[in-house]
Amino acid sequence: MHDAPLIGPYNPDEVLAWETDGPRTARQFLSDVSRLADFLPDRPAVLNLLSSRYEFLVGFAAAMLRRQLTLLPQSRAPQTLRRIAGDYHESYCLTDQDEPVEGIESAVQRRHGSIAGWPRRIPHIPLNQVAAIAFTSGSTGQPMPNRKTWGALTAVARATGARLGLKTGERTAVVATVPHQHMFGLEASVMLPIMHGFVMHAGRPLFPADIRDALAEVAGKRILVTTPLHLRACVTEGVCVPPVGLILSATAPLSRSLAQEAERHFQTEVHEIFGFAEAGSVAERRTIDGDRWRPLDTVRLVQDRTVWVVHADYLPVPVRVPDRITVDADGRFVVHGREVDQINIAGHRVSLGDLNQKLLEIEGVQDGVFFLPDEGADLVTRLIACVVAPGKTVEEIQQALRRRIDPVFLPRPLLLVPRLPRNDTGKLPREALLKLAEQHVKGLSHEA
Amino acid sequence: MTDSFASSLERALASLIVQTLKLKVEPATIDPTQALFGDGLGLDSIDALELSLAISQTYGYQLKSSDPEIKAIFSSLRALSNAIEKNRTK
Repeated sequence: MHDAPLIGPYNPDEVLAWETDGPRTARQFLSDVSRLADFLPDRPAVLNLLSSRYEFLVGFAAAMLRRQLTLLPQSRAPQTLRRIAGDYHESYCLTDQDEPVEGIESAVQRRHGSIAGWPRRIPHIPLNQVAAIAFTSGSTGQPMPNRKTWGALTAVARATGARLGLKTGERTAVVATVPHQHMFGLEASVMLPIMHGFVMHAGRPLFPADIRDALAEVAGKRILVTTPLHLRACVTEGVCVPPVGLILSATAPLSRSLAQEAERHFQTEVHEIFGFAEAGSVAERRTIDGDRWRPLDTVRLVQDRTVWVVHADYLPVPVRVPDRITVDADGRFVVHGREVDQINIAGHRVSLGDLNQKLLEIEGVQDGVFFLPDEGADLVTRLIACVVAPGKTVEEIQQALRRRIDPVFLPRPLLLVPRLPRNDTGKLPREALLKLAEQHVKGLSHEA
Repeated sequence: MTDSFASSLERALASLIVQTLKLKVEPATIDPTQALFGDGLGLDSIDALELSLAISQTYGYQLKSSDPEIKAIFSSLRALSNAIEKNRTK
C-alpha cells in the first residue's frame, strides 16, 4: 500500500463535521476541498492559521492535494510566524477573513459554493508525502521543524483508535478544546475522527459552559479531547454536561486525583496520551489505573546509551524522548519529567535536562535536579541543585560537576537531601523544590 | 493609595485578577480601561479560563465564548466589571 484515502468510511450524506451553523456532510467536505485546491496559489508551503477546525481541515486537505506542506507553528506570535514564513521560501498563509498576519501574504479562505457530485474515487494521498511540519522551540531559539508524513498521521490515528477501542463507522463525535495546529490536536481532534468516519466538532470551546454547549450540539458517542486545565475547570465549576463516552487528555500530566474527579463528574473513563511534537502520540494510559504508560501498537522504546528513543513502523528515523523515563520489562514506562527546559544564565544557554542528566551520571548520585530560583537582588541568578547521594559530600559532587559542565552553571548552593519532593506523577513541582531549598539553606545557616 | 477605579467592584476585580493569575503587578496600578489581553496586561486564553472560574466562583456569573458580547466583555477591567455587575448571582 503506497497511499491512503483522505477520509475514512463515510457515506456521501453522512455528517463529517459540525460547524457553528450546522452540519457538513462528507459530500460537502470533498466539494469544499476540491474548490479550495483549485483556488490555492501555486506555492510549496502554507501556514494554516484557520480558527475553525473544519476550515482548517479543508485547507490541510486541499494543500495535500496540491502537494503543499502545511506549516504548524508552535506559537501565534507574529515574530514566530514571520520567522517560519521566512524559512520556507514562497510560503503563504491561510487565515480567517478578519485576521491577516502582517508581513505574510495571505490567501483568504473562500466561502462555500454549490455542492459538487460525489467523486468516483475519494482522493488518496501517498503515505510518504510530508503532509505537515510541526514546529517546536529549539535550543538555538529557532523553531525546529518536525516532518509528518501522511503515513505517520494515518498510522497514529489508527493506533490510537485501536488502543481506545473505537469502532470505525460507529456513531461517534469528537469535541476538542485543544488547538488543531498543535500535534496532539491535529492527531486526536482531526486525524482520529476523519480516519474513523466520526463527526468532528469544528469549534474550540474554552469555558466550561462552552464545552457543555459543544457536547450538546453533537449526537452519538461523545469523545472529549482536552487538557487537565479544562478538566479542572469543568469539575470545579460543576457544569452539567450531556453523557460523554470517553475523555482523552494530553499536553500536561493529569494528576490521579483530578482524573478520579473527572471520571466521577463526566461518568466516563479518562485516558491520557503521552507524546511530543517530534514523534507525535506515543503511548496511552487510563490515569486512575496507575502511572505506567502503554506504548501504542508498533511503538517501542529503546535505550541508546543515556537516552531513550522511540522506534515505530511509521517513524522514518528513531526519535529521542525528551523526558526522563524508566521502562519496565513489559515495555510500559513511567515519565519523570520533561528535560528540554532551556535556561539562560548570563548569556549562556543550557537545557536543564542536560544538566540533570550529567548530575545523574555521577557515581553515587541516586536522584537530583537543577532548578533556577526566582530572580532575587543579585545581578545574576544562579542555579540550585538538590541531590540525593547517600555517602557523598557536597565537595565531591561539585568536583565531579566541574568536570562535566560550564562553571556558570555550577549550583550555588548544592544541597544534599534525603529525597526529592516528587509528586504522584513523578514531576517535581517548582514550589516544592523552592520550599525544600529554603528549608535547607535556613538549616545550614543555623548550623553555622 | 490612589487608584483610578470607579467602583469597589472594579477594585475587588483587580485584586482577583492579580491573585488568580499570579501577576507581578500591584492591583491599584491596573488601568481599568486598558486591554486585558494582547498588548495590555498580556493575558492569554488560559488566563481567560482561570479568570472565568474565579469569576464564576466569586460572583456566580458563567462566561461563554458564544456570547456575542464576549470580546467587549473581556476588552478591559471596566467592561468586565460592568458585565459582572449585570449578571452576578452572588
